Amino acid sequence: MKIEEVLRTVNQMTTDRVIERYAIGGAVGATFYLEPVSTLDIDIFIELHTTPGAPLVTLEPVFHYLRARGCRMEGEHIVISDWPVQFLPPTGPLVEEALTNAIELDVGGISARVFTAEHLAAIALQTGRAKDKARLLQFIEAGALDSARFEQIVTRHNLVDRWRQFQRQFLEG
Amino acid sequence: MSFDFERIWKGKRALSERLAARPLAEKLRMLDALRERAVALRAAGSQPAVKVREAQPPYGKPR
Repeated sequence: MKIEEVLRTVNQMTTDRVIERYAIGGAVGATFYLEPVSTLDIDIFIELHTTPGAPLVTLEPVFHYLRARGCRMEGEHIVISDWPVQFLPPTGPLVEEALTNAIELDVGGISARVFTAEHLAAIALQTGRAKDKARLLQFIEAGALDSARFEQIVTRHNLVDRWRQFQRQFLEG
Repeated sequence: MSFDFERIWKGKRALSERLAARPLAEKLRMLDALRERAVALRAAGSQPAVKVREAQPPYGKPR
């Protein structure tokens, strides 16, 4: 069970042009900036090579590539090196922007493309589940955010009301 | 017995900061270990579990 193996596999998928690019999000993405938090799966956002005029974005090329390399499907996940991985196409402008602006980090000699801390925090604000709010608080308490950059993202993606509400609920008083 | 919550809180914060500052490869190995533990706990919990549930707050009930 090794995340490093997952990174190697996803990097190879980029080299083999199965995917255009990728970025790690969710709890694993947050671990690049914060203390590690237990998680059962890995969220990898991907941009696929698209054929002009093709009506649908399908993940089948990804699954086909990985199944041919011995990976198995488990519900919505595909299991790579014992880690269930969820490949997610961008679900909206915020995630698209996060994917474009993701940064490349070195993990013991292996390259990893990860959402910026500010985009991870903004996505947590947008998603808004209890665990996402907890993660946003972690980013704030750890001083891991460039607040100007975060507020620009929040403004650009119409999350100002949510941000004000979050501030009232958790940061004031 | 008394608890100095301020001191406990500071200790937890310091631990979080130390963990966050560890090298990325080491933090990812910690995730591997945390997941292995979580999977083992899930497997062990296949026996009937004790459920803890809070009573529904009486929202909107006339007094």
